Amino acid sequence: MKRWKKIRVPLLILLAAALASGAGNEKATILRESALYSAPGTNSQKTGQVERGRDLTILGRKDADGQPWFNVSMASDPSAQITKEVSGWIPGAAVATASTANGDEVVFGQAVASEHQAEERGGRKNAAMDAMRLYARVPELFTNSPLAAEGAWRSADIRWQLAKADFLRSGTQMDEKYLQQVVAKYPQTKQAQLAAYELLEGKLCPEWRGLPDCPEKESAIYEQYAKENPKSPKATEALYNAAWRQAALTDIYRIDNDNSKSDAARKKAAALAQQIVNQYSQDDWKPRAQALLYKLEKKIPVYGSATE
Amino acid sequence: MKFNMPTLTRALLALWLILVMAMTSAFGQEKEQGTIISDVDMYVSPDTTAQKLARATRGRDVILVMDRTTLSGKLWAHVLVVVDVNLEQETTRQISGWIPNTYLVTTATRNGDQIIYGEAVDSENQAQQRGGRKGSAQDAMRLYYRVYEYFPGSPLAGEALWRAADIRWQLEKQDVMRRPSSREMDPSVREGMEEQTMKELIKKFPHTKWADLASFDLIDNKLCGSWQGETKCPEKESDLYEKYAREHPQSPKAAEALYDAAWRQAVLVDMYKAANERDKSEKARKKSTELAQQIVTQYAEGDWKPLAMELMHALEQGLPTYNAETKKPVS
Repeated sequence: MKRWKKIRVPLLILLAAALASGAGNEKATILRESALYSAPGTNSQKTGQVERGRDLTILGRKDADGQPWFNVSMASDPSAQITKEVSGWIPGAAVATASTANGDEVVFGQAVASEHQAEERGGRKNAAMDAMRLYARVPELFTNSPLAAEGAWRSADIRWQLAKADFLRSGTQMDEKYLQQVVAKYPQTKQAQLAAYELLEGKLCPEWRGLPDCPEKESAIYEQYAKENPKSPKATEALYNAAWRQAALTDIYRIDNDNSKSDAARKKAAALAQQIVNQYSQDDWKPRAQALLYKLEKKIPVYGSATE
Repeated sequence: MKFNMPTLTRALLALWLILVMAMTSAFGQEKEQGTIISDVDMYVSPDTTAQKLARATRGRDVILVMDRTTLSGKLWAHVLVVVDVNLEQETTRQISGWIPNTYLVTTATRNGDQIIYGEAVDSENQAQQRGGRKGSAQDAMRLYYRVYEYFPGSPLAGEALWRAADIRWQLEKQDVMRRPSSREMDPSVREGMEEQTMKELIKKFPHTKWADLASFDLIDNKLCGSWQGETKCPEKESDLYEKYAREHPQSPKAAEALYDAAWRQAVLVDMYKAANERDKSEKARKKSTELAQQIVTQYAEGDWKPLAMELMHALEQGLPTYNAETKKPVS
């Protein structure tokens, strides 16, 4: 018994040290951009920069300048042109971990603030990327948070929008992986429905060139989405998109002198628009559908030259 | 007393006829007014080969439909339209001419309010799209206004007037912010946005969501162009936003106003700290936390709660919101 008492204290110290070193596996992120230092303390050499929302692993902790410092390893991030894992020290004040009180809301809140910055004229440079990373950290660090699905969706959405802008500039193919992950990880949720809707964009033609094939295919895609996701926040928009494409087909077939197909498309467009008017009385889609119905009735063209 | 039945029947018939005639005359005198839902050319006579008078854009005010006629199976309308003469000076004039009837939506059109409103939404969407139709924001603004003007009893009237007023406000704000005076600290130095439509909205739809939104936009005219490192601006602005939140607790902008107030107090924490005014800095920190906590407690839905939580976390950890050296907020 005495022997156990003698070794108990050193054992507890060892256990505490082991637990502390276990913190080396703790994941974290940063809420404000910070310099990466070679050692704890602002007097030490700066070795790099850590952007908001970066995926960090805590390797150790120390106090310096009267505040805690973290030794972190930063995962490679091709989007930030960081191809290899780097490590260094950062001040702890801006670091958020899974154990930060209300950490999910705090990280999500900074993501929202960054998104606001990205939308502002003259807002912070790369704020959209910051928001994208911060939102992604929410489900990673706080798996069970009520904000996890929304964080994953918003991150995937920002990534998609940035990739789309890139595609329009340089033709770089858009990666569907992140949106598909939202659909797979959070099935039957609003976020999965939004991601599924966004994925339809990948199936749209870049140009119609006045031919009916594309609007026919796209109308069917949107109609199918509305049928399969009637509760989706995008269900009405999908129906409207299907109706509008049928209205465009009315004009395309009329120009081709294919009157029977033009008439069939008009009927289909009217039926879809009427479905919006009957089923979805809220928001802007009902008056838009009414305006489309009016144009179909008065034979006002929606595709090509719509003016006289 | 006995009634002579045939005499009574004649009297009732005569009364009924007088009533019908009076009603017909009253309706006959009601002017048919409306707007145009697509850009159209106006002609001297109902014929596309006739001389063109002007091009009428979407949402133009058709103050009178004077006549209609069908030529070669096509229905034409003779209309009196208000068009711009000088965009800079905002002068207008009335032109009468013939347009194809299909593009005309009037007070007599079934679901006219919804059709014009739907066109306004389409135009607004265009305005938000990269490479969208030129002038589509102005189209949307005019179309929304026509819904309110010609369909005042429509359930869409309040929302339409709000959207028209807001688009006008945002367009003017862009203009105002481009001028050098926009960088002056004192807001009275710069020419503000025209408040007339917003005030009209507040008067016509008091105690509604739209009046609350209009009141929030009106705060823009009272904000400093730049703070120039002085505390009086964020102090005053924080008060303005806090007052708004107190007076409009049900407003869709109440949580945002509280956050704007809390964020300015967080800025003051750093401003006073830099000026070595510790007491004032501490007071601002408490005030900021209190306002942020109010958002968390009262407005749990939406993005303002996590934003408030992040602000409280930053205050607790001593993360700066304002850089005293650059005299700019930390974005």
